[in-house]
Amino acid sequence: MKKLLALALTLALSLSMVACGSSEPAPAPEAEGTPSLTQEAGVLKVAISPDFAPMEFVDLSKSGQDQYVGFDVSLSKYIAEEMGVELEIMPMSFDACQAAVSTGKVDMSVSGFSWTEERAENYNLSDYYHAGDNETEQVTIALKENAEKYATLEGYAGAVVGAQSASLQESLVNEQLVPAGAEIAIYTDINTGVLQLKKGDFQVMAVATGNGDAIIAANPEIAHTGFVFEIDPKYVDNLILLQKGSDDLTAKVNEILAKAEAAGLYETWYAEAEELAGIDSAADVSYDDEGNVAQ
Amino acid sequence: MDLGVIGANIAKLWTNYWHIYLIEGVLTTLKLTVFAVVLGALLGIVVAMLKMSKNKIIRFLITVYIEVIRGTPLLLQLYIFYFVLPELLPVFDFSQFTWVAISLCINSSAYVSEIFRSGIQSVDKGQSEAARSLGLSKGQTMTRIVMPQAIKNILPALGNEFIMMLKETSLASTFFIGDLMTAHLKIKGATYLMLESLIITGLIYLAMTYPLSKLVEAFERKMKNAD
Repeated sequence: MKKLLALALTLALSLSMVACGSSEPAPAPEAEGTPSLTQEAGVLKVAISPDFAPMEFVDLSKSGQDQYVGFDVSLSKYIAEEMGVELEIMPMSFDACQAAVSTGKVDMSVSGFSWTEERAENYNLSDYYHAGDNETEQVTIALKENAEKYATLEGYAGAVVGAQSASLQESLVNEQLVPAGAEIAIYTDINTGVLQLKKGDFQVMAVATGNGDAIIAANPEIAHTGFVFEIDPKYVDNLILLQKGSDDLTAKVNEILAKAEAAGLYETWYAEAEELAGIDSAADVSYDDEGNVAQ
Repeated sequence: MDLGVIGANIAKLWTNYWHIYLIEGVLTTLKLTVFAVVLGALLGIVVAMLKMSKNKIIRFLITVYIEVIRGTPLLLQLYIFYFVLPELLPVFDFSQFTWVAISLCINSSAYVSEIFRSGIQSVDKGQSEAARSLGLSKGQTMTRIVMPQAIKNILPALGNEFIMMLKETSLASTFFIGDLMTAHLKIKGATYLMLESLIITGLIYLAMTYPLSKLVEAFERKMKNAD
């Protein structure tokens, strides 16, 4: 019994040693024009959910911080560079990204967020940024053999349309396709949606153009229908999620966004991201013999 | 769905990315599992001892600990450990990986402690009574007489806990911790080939758990014969 007690004490002690050994987060120095970062000085922590090509995904030929690529990663790098700090990408699921911002675990999340009322209430939102055509157009995709049928609104009577839960696409389908006689089916993850589309749970899937392109590159049996949703401009672009009340940092980020836009960097980043998504992933696994290779 | 296409995709994913599944994924999964079960077992022994303590308050607190951990989902515990605890205990400035490992370890300790307690209590009372009447101290009785028999009884259950934990570590992929499930998330995210990647991932998990469960089974058989 005494030995066990000693063991327990040793364990508790060693745990607390580990805790003492690591440095406490030092407050960031209040340099001129540099808003304080929540975690540690000189490091900008950004949460992303890297399973959403071409906005943010993993370059499977790399490892460590280098493996995270895509439009939002280029943008995060630029923000860190402009602020003169190191960037640390913290990968986690999309839900966890939002929790990470609200608890101050990260300074911000750059992960293809669209404007919603709830987000505006609970977070500081940056100005909009324009991620190529990924979000500008909201479209539908379907199996190739019946894609044409869904090119116009009339085709949707009686069709089941899939959309991601709590997404922009979900509201668009409810607003525009359900009145035309369609039924909505919800999925939680875009990849699950692709599987369900192939299986026949729904005939059409509502997606952002960029995601649709990446899906089609890897799944030649799927095609664009040609249908495009009408959207309110406030949904078109993306924004960055910051902790409620971090007004200094938000202002700084907005300043950097304006600079990036003026320099025309968005187009470059999006083209790079699309190329990476096509060459490093989709083309590796697409079908050379069927003539559908995304180059 | 065309099975031929799925087969071809699986082959392509495997040739291109086997190292991500095996070297990164499997290694991290094993590392997390060993860490969680070994430290969890040590902590579990302590918890089991305290649960059998004579002090009512200690017993009550430990019961709450065990019931809370066993009565809530591991995914929820991971979120709490990762987002809430660091806020409450700012001295613990651990990495993402460490927090996940600690929550797995604490989760495991609650289960292991119950395994230990049932093991200790399964040893016939006559054994410790005999030891005490032969003049062994309380501590000696525990370490020399009761524990060796108890551990023999609970090894298969510990083996099963290891297998359970090996599968449960997949929840840690919420934080892209680098385990086998994270490898799957990364690959499906970049390739949009979910089903194919799921099949590969499932087969690898099976290749780890099946030999382990056979090992536990063989051990159980041997123990039976030894009695």
